[in-house]
Amino acid sequence: MIAALRRLALRTLNAIRPYAREADLERELLSHVALVEDEHRMRGLSADEARLAARRAVGSSAYAKDLHRDARSLGYIDDVRRDVQYAVRSLRRSPGFALVAILTLALGIGANAAIFSVVHAVLLKPLPYMESDRLVRLVSNVPAAAAETAKPSRFTGSMTVAELLELRARANTLSQIGAYVPVITTMTDRDAEAARLEGWRVQPAVFQMLGVAPLLGRVFNAQDAARGADMVVILSYETWQRYFGGDRQIVGKTILLGEKGYSIIGVMPRAFEFPFELANRQFWTPLVLTVTGDAVRIRVPMLGQLAKGASTLAAEREVGAILRNLHDNGTTYELVRARDELAEPVRPALLMLVVAVGLVLLIACVNVANLLLARTATRQREIAIRAALGAGRSRLTRQLLTESLVLALLGAVGGIALAVGGIRILRSLATTLSRMDVGTLTSFPRLEEIGIDAPVLAFTIVAAIVTGALCGLVPAVDLSRVDEMDALREGPVSAFSSVGLIHRARTEGLVVAEIALAMMLLVGGGLLIHSFVRLVSVPLGYDPSHVLTFQVAMPAGHYKGAQIQTFAEDLVERLRQVPRVQTAAYAPLVPMVNLLEHTAGFRRTPEVPRTAPSPREDFRGVSYDYFKVMGIRVVAGRGFNENDRPGQPRVVVINRALARRDFAGENPIGQMVYLQGQTEPWQIVGIVDDVRQVVLDKEPTPQVFVESRQWPGMAPGLRFLQYYTVRSVGDPMSVVPHVRDLLRQLDPQAAVYHVALMEQLVSNSISRRRLYAVLVGVFAGVALGLAAIGIYGVMTYSVAQRTREIGIRMALGAQRVQVLALVLRDGLILTTVGIALGLVGAAITTRLVQGMLFGITPLDPTTFIAVSLMFGLVATVASYVPARRATNVDPVIALRCE
Amino acid sequence: MSNSPVQLLQGTLDMIVLQALSSMGALHSYALAKRLEQVADEPFQLNQGTLYPALVRLEQRGHIKGTWRTTENGRDAKFYAITKSGLRALEGEAARWRRLAGLIDKLLVRPSS
Repeated sequence: MIAALRRLALRTLNAIRPYAREADLERELLSHVALVEDEHRMRGLSADEARLAARRAVGSSAYAKDLHRDARSLGYIDDVRRDVQYAVRSLRRSPGFALVAILTLALGIGANAAIFSVVHAVLLKPLPYMESDRLVRLVSNVPAAAAETAKPSRFTGSMTVAELLELRARANTLSQIGAYVPVITTMTDRDAEAARLEGWRVQPAVFQMLGVAPLLGRVFNAQDAARGADMVVILSYETWQRYFGGDRQIVGKTILLGEKGYSIIGVMPRAFEFPFELANRQFWTPLVLTVTGDAVRIRVPMLGQLAKGASTLAAEREVGAILRNLHDNGTTYELVRARDELAEPVRPALLMLVVAVGLVLLIACVNVANLLLARTATRQREIAIRAALGAGRSRLTRQLLTESLVLALLGAVGGIALAVGGIRILRSLATTLSRMDVGTLTSFPRLEEIGIDAPVLAFTIVAAIVTGALCGLVPAVDLSRVDEMDALREGPVSAFSSVGLIHRARTEGLVVAEIALAMMLLVGGGLLIHSFVRLVSVPLGYDPSHVLTFQVAMPAGHYKGAQIQTFAEDLVERLRQVPRVQTAAYAPLVPMVNLLEHTAGFRRTPEVPRTAPSPREDFRGVSYDYFKVMGIRVVAGRGFNENDRPGQPRVVVINRALARRDFAGENPIGQMVYLQGQTEPWQIVGIVDDVRQVVLDKEPTPQVFVESRQWPGMAPGLRFLQYYTVRSVGDPMSVVPHVRDLLRQLDPQAAVYHVALMEQLVSNSISRRRLYAVLVGVFAGVALGLAAIGIYGVMTYSVAQRTREIGIRMALGAQRVQVLALVLRDGLILTTVGIALGLVGAAITTRLVQGMLFGITPLDPTTFIAVSLMFGLVATVASYVPARRATNVDPVIALRCE
Repeated sequence: MSNSPVQLLQGTLDMIVLQALSSMGALHSYALAKRLEQVADEPFQLNQGTLYPALVRLEQRGHIKGTWRTTENGRDAKFYAITKSGLRALEGEAARWRRLAGLIDKLLVRPSS
């Protein structure tokens, strides 16, 4: 047994290193001959006779070597190795072909590897928690009648506190359920300066469900959520490292968060992330849910765990029944696995990208198949000779397949390299500002997990093998048509031979297919790019250039009510004095911040109507220079000024959308209106441009602005979260050091955070669309390039084949222009057929991107026409070059060439 | 029929080589070939075409070990010596062979008896 294993191992080793033992054998054979020779000489033969006799006796050393090789190594591995060597040798002989083929395959395989790595990380890999397949989230579809916004709404991953309590009490199919809410606080009481931390208050059940062991200490248990016992905190690894220097004795110590003492009970490991849908996970504290009054109507993010053995479907049915029993308002409920819910916003785009890279790979395949086909045609004679020498058809097929597999595997190596770079670019494109206030709609899930890992490598290798087999198949099938004698007689394939004609038809068919596939991809990419361009050129309603935005964390408890306002006024006043600052303002919200919605309750009569108008007005209290800072144009009347203070007439500014809605045919300026529950009137003094407040792809809603000093009671919860905006001459970032200086003077405990250019916020809000447009655009560009190479290759080959025909034509008096037209026409016929087929294919498939388009339909005629024209142009250039070459044919040489 | 060279049964060459090495000590391939020709009563077709693969096989199994040494005539030659595992294998093979030979013997003899 051991002996057999030992032999197998050595044979395998020798198959891998075929020449290692060869020298030893050579030496032994020589010594054998010498010994026989000695013996013969001793018997009295002359030296020459002895040598001859010895040679005769020993026999053919080549034969001996062959037998020896068979015995010491493994036959089939040897065969494969020889095939591979042969393939590598023959590829080396035509480095141009090899390079083009490998690069083409690298592009195709690399694109697939990169996109698969995303699909794997986002759609396939389980979440990094215990039994994560049991983690579910609730999706509620609220009908218009029951929704606060009077529009059908879909809430994913959140539920009201009332629903949560009901499910916890009644659902048997859910073993646990828990909620979590964001919390922003300031950590003080250390020697260092105050730090602003963003964390989460979570119900202990959540940590139980996740089942991730802490690095130090413990996670929350049920007692931690009891009122009074909840002053405990778990730190993230990063917080522990950054603020506590990785102190292993930290558990049990107390820190001040928002001026309250919290006892540290644990530190989570580095890789731990929760919640998975948002960044900013610096600490966790227990969440104690208020179960009285209006609080039960608050919607909170949630996580549930299926009971062992319970199916999602059964749980969904039970949850639906329980919740309908709670409030029967027509809402329907779904339970979705946490992983799928997380991936939901990007799933359609990922599927689209999978189709796109699949097309790229197919196109690459067709290109390489065509190259191989042209190559086998020119190698006809070599193949025929090999066949005549006794190589079987299967042996020859295997040889050709080996060659294409070698190409594909080399392509895979290049592809992995491309994918590594591609993933890096993809990550940077998909990375969004890590901020709670803007991140919810734009961030790409599980970005950190995307990379080339073992499953991605395995996928790439399988993809390469399949690709290699597909590419090699076409020439291999062609092989079966080769008649050896024919091929030997004819020499290079002529256009008029049967093989030549079949071959040409096949090549042209492949090119048409390639053009059609590339067209489909190009149309898809064109649509996305077209929508993106439309999106970035929508009128924002404000001018984001040269605007700096930031927030200030103020020590909790130091500022109350009017003091907050005074602080903001003070800071803005000082900011105006900073050199190169044009003006500054503050507001509880700036565009692209998606934290809270406010409604103005705007009406022209004192009575509060029963039903709110739809869409409801967006209400913003701003400081008086806000319009100037943001570059919001005042289209009628005036904006706010310094005199719009408390005690002065109360004024509002509305936008055009509201003017259209409520003042059709009237001049709104000077009209008296009423806001929210108030009975005192406000006077409209101005109309401003419509601002796209939260997202670029939604039409602006009616908006109402008031000067914040005139309504100090407005949105008290947002007072702490003022956004400061500064318009400067030159680089707005140069203002930041001044901001820090000013804050040090005003209050050393205040800290600046969320520093960003307004332009960054705008750009951040469209990062997903940009990512898709760039990716599909790149893939479409690659497809176009490959198709151009394909057309060029086929036309070049066809010109080479038709050299004699062209020579005859020219000898008979054809002009260069006529020859040029002849070749060009062939190329253009292929292109036209391909484009036509591609347009039909695109018309069918662009529905895939429908949800990702903005302002155009999936059959947008502009895009279809523009892409066709562009493709036609590229194809013309690709066939013009070979056509041009055809006109340089010298008839005399051409006629002699065969 | 009796004049035709003995066709070696698959596997027997290995045993014969081991037997020769165990009785004669380390031998180089030529001496081994000569030895095999000597012990055979009948013409015994053997060239290194068959001998070398057998040597490789045995060496890979660890039954013999080859070392380069110099012959008394000053020639360079690879001497093969049987190893402990080779001796064990020979014992087993020989026993198996004797059983097999006995069985064949019986089968061939019975009809005439």
